[in-house]
Amino acid sequence: MSDTVLAGVGVQRGETAVLRDVTLAITGRTTAVIGENGSGKSTLIRILGGLTSASTGTVRVLGLDPARDIRGLRRRVAVVFSNPDAQIVMPTVEEDVAFSLRPDRLPPAERDRRVAQALTRFGLAGIARRPSHELSGGQKQLLALCGAFVREPELVIADEPTAYLDARNARQVADHLLAPGTHRLVMATHDLALAARCESAVLMHDGQVATVGRPAEVIARYEASLRC
Amino acid sequence: MLMLYVPGDGLWHRMPAAPKLVLLLAAVLGISLLPATWATAAASAAALVLAYALGGLGLRELWRQILAIRWLLALVLLSQLVLLGPEDAVANTARAAAAIALSAIVSLTTPTGVLLAALEHALRPLALIRIDPERAALVLAVAMNAIPVLGKLARDVREAQRARGGPASLRLFAVPFLVAALKYADELGDALAARGV
Repeated sequence: MSDTVLAGVGVQRGETAVLRDVTLAITGRTTAVIGENGSGKSTLIRILGGLTSASTGTVRVLGLDPARDIRGLRRRVAVVFSNPDAQIVMPTVEEDVAFSLRPDRLPPAERDRRVAQALTRFGLAGIARRPSHELSGGQKQLLALCGAFVREPELVIADEPTAYLDARNARQVADHLLAPGTHRLVMATHDLALAARCESAVLMHDGQVATVGRPAEVIARYEASLRC
Repeated sequence: MLMLYVPGDGLWHRMPAAPKLVLLLAAVLGISLLPATWATAAASAAALVLAYALGGLGLRELWRQILAIRWLLALVLLSQLVLLGPEDAVANTARAAAAIALSAIVSLTTPTGVLLAALEHALRPLALIRIDPERAALVLAVAMNAIPVLGKLARDVREAQRARGGPASLRLFAVPFLVAALKYADELGDALAARGV
């Protein structure tokens, strides 16, 4: 049984129901969430990341209720957004990665070791002291990933992580997100080739779950709906 | 960009944050307390040149800092020329330039993490009035880091308006810039929350 489930979840914004009666169990190690703009993908992702509260229904992420244990959720879940500029908080690359470890209050030597290890893993060691905002778009998104992965999260939630990137950088970011490891991934994306690389997929339509299954089947159904 | 950390290994970079803050604060205070004379103007300029040249930042960086505040300095100079005369105007403008450019040495030569720790230490008395010093220092650090992002947003808005052939207008600039800045603030808030702050 999955430890990450939504049961009867609804999100209301004023008069508009952004999510309606969403019941879903995240089972694969990597899950893609696809669908049109305004279908509820980002809201679903924000609920899993503890950034939006459900108006109705119950949510469990890694067995935790985000409404009751947000600190526990933050320790175990990392979130990556589409706009890398908004994710960079500190002026240099290494400081920004170290910023993610701030809540853990690690001894400086341990913190520096983990930062160096993460920078090497994401190919940023050579630019560790560069000002973050002088990086290219691809490097900025790698930095955002590095800041997320340095905390060794059990679950990574990503909202259109390749949206601002060219093909080469998008592939590099996708390779890191999908790399074998201990983390699980739930990712909203418009990139169907990227969704096809996941173990399972969810199709959202009009605030509801339309289909869940293998990516090839879910993508085929999505493409068929686009032709109607 | 004014006052953002520049990697280096000069004297100012090697100096610990606390004595650097005290030393530069004393220099700024000293210059501020001198009488408004030609000698003060010369001393302010000399202090600036020495601080940047000998401290490892170089005169090119000093020129960059002065250029960034040129409109403020021009405003001070012109208003004081009209009201007080040339000696006072030049001395006060030189003192203002020295105070701002000397203060900039702190952020130019201190990594934000180190500056954050020093600020947290310095802001500890705020805990007496129930202000979390860690949070206050973090707000300052994040605000400093937002400067280049907001600069880029402003450039993007101006370029989009030029591309559409729109007239130069403060109102036409301010509305989309404000919307973009608020969206950035919203996204930054999410990113901070997601990173456990």
